[in-house]
Amino acid sequence: MKFVVSSTDLLSHLSAISKVISSKSTMPILDNFLFGLTDAELTITASDLESTLITHMELDNTEGEGVIAVPAKLLIDTLKEFPEQPLTFQINTDNFSVEIFSDNGKYSIVGQSGEDFPELPEMGEEEATSVTIGPKILLNGIEKTLFATADDELRPVMNGIFVELTPESMGFVASDAHKLVRYRRSDAASEFESSFILPKKPASLLRNLLPKEEYDVKLEFDNKNAMFTLTNYKLICRLVEGNYPSYNSVIPKDNPNKMIIDRLAFYNTVKRVSVFSNQASNLVKLNINDNQLVVSAQDIDFSISAVERLSCEYDGEEIEIGFKSTFLLEILSNISASDVRMEMSDPSRAGLLLPVETEEEAEDVLMLLMPMMINA
Amino acid sequence: MDAFYASVEQLDNPELKGKPVAVGGSRERGVVAAASYEARKYGVRSAMSSKVAKRKCPDLIFVKPRFSRYKEISNQIREVFFEYTDLVEPLSLDEAYLDVTYVKKGKPSATLIAQEIRKRILEETKLTASAGVSYNKFLAKVASDVNKPNGIFVVTPKNAQDFIDNLEVRKFFGIGKVTAEKLNKMGIWFGRDLKQIDRFELVRLFGKSGNYYYEISRGEDLRPVQPFRERKSVGAEQTFFTDLFTENDLESELLGIADILWERYERSNAKARTLTLKYKYADFEQHTRSKTITGWVTGKNELIEGAKDLLHSETFIKGIRLLGLTLSNFQHEEKNEPVQLTIDF
Repeated sequence: MKFVVSSTDLLSHLSAISKVISSKSTMPILDNFLFGLTDAELTITASDLESTLITHMELDNTEGEGVIAVPAKLLIDTLKEFPEQPLTFQINTDNFSVEIFSDNGKYSIVGQSGEDFPELPEMGEEEATSVTIGPKILLNGIEKTLFATADDELRPVMNGIFVELTPESMGFVASDAHKLVRYRRSDAASEFESSFILPKKPASLLRNLLPKEEYDVKLEFDNKNAMFTLTNYKLICRLVEGNYPSYNSVIPKDNPNKMIIDRLAFYNTVKRVSVFSNQASNLVKLNINDNQLVVSAQDIDFSISAVERLSCEYDGEEIEIGFKSTFLLEILSNISASDVRMEMSDPSRAGLLLPVETEEEAEDVLMLLMPMMINA
Repeated sequence: MDAFYASVEQLDNPELKGKPVAVGGSRERGVVAAASYEARKYGVRSAMSSKVAKRKCPDLIFVKPRFSRYKEISNQIREVFFEYTDLVEPLSLDEAYLDVTYVKKGKPSATLIAQEIRKRILEETKLTASAGVSYNKFLAKVASDVNKPNGIFVVTPKNAQDFIDNLEVRKFFGIGKVTAEKLNKMGIWFGRDLKQIDRFELVRLFGKSGNYYYEISRGEDLRPVQPFRERKSVGAEQTFFTDLFTENDLESELLGIADILWERYERSNAKARTLTLKYKYADFEQHTRSKTITGWVTGKNELIEGAKDLLHSETFIKGIRLLGLTLSNFQHEEKNEPVQLTIDF
């Protein structure tokens, strides 16, 4: 088979899907791109068995058809060095030789049989759920929650984003048992109630692809796999099996102590003060009373301490509560509102952090952080 | 004690007296744990591979180690120490620091006490010991090597600087082979050369240890003799009969090592936060890789999974002769550290 393609066009498609290729793949064939040509359409696939990314290119100048696996790293390294120009790929599917002709050169690669490439998982037609979602909604859902996923080998369900569809809304939830994020959209919904757990890797692949997407994304899933269809790309991934814990029951409802504070000022203060916290615990203490927040930290081992005062709107009893500064900062940086509302009940219960006004009306963001117990 | 393991073997088996003896594995893969003075004349040293040792001294007699016997004698010796002071800090089975500032019996002279203890050890065990006497741990330790075997050496405050100035850096306790070579390359061979380097330069070159080098080159060492030195790590390792090449083989050996380590860890009652994998290639090149968790290792499964993770994250380029696992970075409960609470799902 033979086709002519723009060097930069091909590189941009390949770069996008190459992120799925694992540096320590379990099968040598997975270090390759799978090229498939039918009619005037070139299909390129990359996979790590768990996730598979596919991209399509419509080409004007093609001959014949077939499939072949081409070493991914070699191909990308080569393409990076070309200025924009048409490249002619001449492929012999019998001896797997790949010859690339440029304006003034020829590059020869030995590929592998395309038949050795693992087959794509089949989606059960009948039990599959299908919905369309705006790209921005999906992107926000992933971006807001991905940081809160766990790395827990014993509870794999915690290592993904729980995506929940109901007739009223679409929800994204992630938690590592220290923090929990729930992101809901009332402007996306499905006819039936259904849910799945999206693993970290495909989630971060989507996060890279979605910012450039203009059209609605088609999402199909059954109890094993999910498929996201974008304009130029298709992502198929295996889902995390198992049941996500009932997260709603751990979100405290009755929080009598409420503080409203400038988010950026709060973030910057915690960041400065945390430099003085104990390096193992990263504990910062918040003392809130009378519209004043006092943020303090100390490291007894080095006899250093820091304290800062901030004004806030506070409604509640005086409270002293400790948090791990790294977690608190992560949460504050993942809220986009200019003011945050912090709701607490007591120093041993979860604190909630909520944006005072959301960017979009259909958005509902809730972040929860468990405190650190201050023993000393 | 002088050539401790080897001397014990010669004591228990008179046929070995006066002959070159090595305690350790005689087989292809073995390593010399201790060599008698007769063997040392041929250049046989501890930690040398048995193969090399045999080449250096063809008449070398290999004896299997009997640790329970060494432990028994070690206890006998410690009993002698405790007659004089309770401030005894064991360094190994056959070595200890004694703080004799205040003693339970005998004359208040460290030199006389050392002589007396050496005599008592000889009477009790029929084995000879060497002693170093000085005003801190570093000097005492280095001094103990000067007149080995069966000797004593005293470093007084007056002659300490002179002693250090003329001591080769490779003989400094706390300076290993690699550091010594690095120093030699810089033209630093003796204590007097080391003393010329300023503190910041030493710290820049050797990290935290630089401070220690700076101080010992001036004869300063304020570390107290600690009678109850805490255990800082537990470990287990295994040298294989033949080099291993596949991850499968390594993993199954690793499971065995993890088993032994888990047993020791449980017995230690410690709460370790760091797991370290050590591996040695066939050519003795050694690497370690470690990871630290929040909280501490609580289950055997956690240990095994952690060990496997470390193993699989490495790429092995040569045959492996040894694998080891160590748990360290113990958490101290009494420290009252703040506790991160978790969501109760």
